[in-house]
Amino acid sequence: MSVFDEELMQLKEKVLKMGGMVEEAIKDSVRSLVDRDNEIARLVIERDHQINALDVQIDEDSIRLIALRQPKASDLRFITTAMKITTDIERMGDLGVNIAERALELNEEPLLKPYIDIPRMRELAQGMIRDALDAFVRRDKKLAMDVIMRDDEVDELKHSVLQELAFFMVQDPTTVSRAMKISFVAQYLERFADHATNIAEMVIYLVEGKIIRHMAHPEETP
Amino acid sequence: MQEVELETRSLNFYYGGNVHALKQVNLTVFRKGVTSLIGPSGCGKTTLLRCFNRMHDLYPGNRYEGEILLRGRNILSGGIDVIRLRSNVGMVFQKPTPFPMTIFDNIAYGLRLKGIRKRADLSEKVEKALKNAAIWDEVKDKLNVSAYDLSGGQQQRLVIARALAVEPEILLFDEPTSALDPISTGKIEELVVQLRKDVTIIIVTHNMQQAARISDWTGFMMLGELIEFDKTDKMFTAPTEKLTEDYITGRFG
Repeated sequence: MSVFDEELMQLKEKVLKMGGMVEEAIKDSVRSLVDRDNEIARLVIERDHQINALDVQIDEDSIRLIALRQPKASDLRFITTAMKITTDIERMGDLGVNIAERALELNEEPLLKPYIDIPRMRELAQGMIRDALDAFVRRDKKLAMDVIMRDDEVDELKHSVLQELAFFMVQDPTTVSRAMKISFVAQYLERFADHATNIAEMVIYLVEGKIIRHMAHPEETP
Repeated sequence: MQEVELETRSLNFYYGGNVHALKQVNLTVFRKGVTSLIGPSGCGKTTLLRCFNRMHDLYPGNRYEGEILLRGRNILSGGIDVIRLRSNVGMVFQKPTPFPMTIFDNIAYGLRLKGIRKRADLSEKVEKALKNAAIWDEVKDKLNVSAYDLSGGQQQRLVIARALAVEPEILLFDEPTSALDPISTGKIEELVVQLRKDVTIIIVTHNMQQAARISDWTGFMMLGELIEFDKTDKMFTAPTEKLTEDYITGRFG
């Protein structure tokens, strides 16, 4: 393997590591909410700086590779994709922190209701980031498209969560503060899934050299 | 839609009668743009370039098949005035090739061959050519010194001026900067980009970054075949052919 190929591999591994850390963050932050476990929530918040550090490293590595190697064709698409998706991954880490912060606040108050849809949203969103990164590694267009399609499910779940919470707030104004915080969590999870979708869209670019962002029906591209 | 300057149709070329150097090449060169030809050594890119002003005719036994249409006219057919063709389709080589004469006479040489004799006319055209080749300011005070006194980069621009003086439709560049330092290379590249508004340029280069920097269209050749031809940005970001991808990313073989 050439030195350049090795450098590309290292870049890929860093992206994957960062993705793995974000998966942990989302899993643990929701767990800290569902299990009312402040210890885990604090861990998620503490670990975020590692994600940020990787974000900076990946940017620096990519810029260096562009300057020194003048990558072309699929190499160029790979490096630009790595740079772009890490921006999304970094934001996902922040959303994990946000969920952990809301968990810390909610855990101080009595349980409003058992969490059912939030863990389901988490499961979907986590599956999306895992598959998006899998698609990135395998340059798998089909899997990337599948991730993009799954975003709607998360959106629908969010709507039903918000509706349910609105009902609580109308019935009993003392629930407003808690219901607001839970609806924030639903919002964060929905945003998390959006970032996974962005990553999947970048994978399509990586594979095909075609930018499908902001397209009405990306599934119709040949 | 861009106008077509030159087109090859099922072009085959044989060296010495039997070495099959170009195979069924179908290339379209658009007018007033820069087209670069890239590919590994021995792929046929220089051979193809030299077909365009029939330089191969200078050696016996070489044989063309197919058609090369220059503005619709087949330059391989009989009745083509090869001398006129070569002033119409100028060539700049890898090593600068100034004539052993003064700077002025280097440029005036081709003009005199075209029948321009009046000193005033010559002076005017020489100045214009040197200006177009972005070397006028450097040589205007020493037009009567030998062209050999210029640096390599200046000599190359002088040669370009000489080719431009006879107002060609096409300029062919065969590795025009491979013997030059980065500063001179930059000047030649800058010049090529400026010239393309007046003349169609075809450039053969080993330097892929150069092809990427200066050309509008890029053709990738291998083993005598034109593997892929497309807009330069497409070729360097998302080529269609696996062979092109492998060559451009340096993963050949």
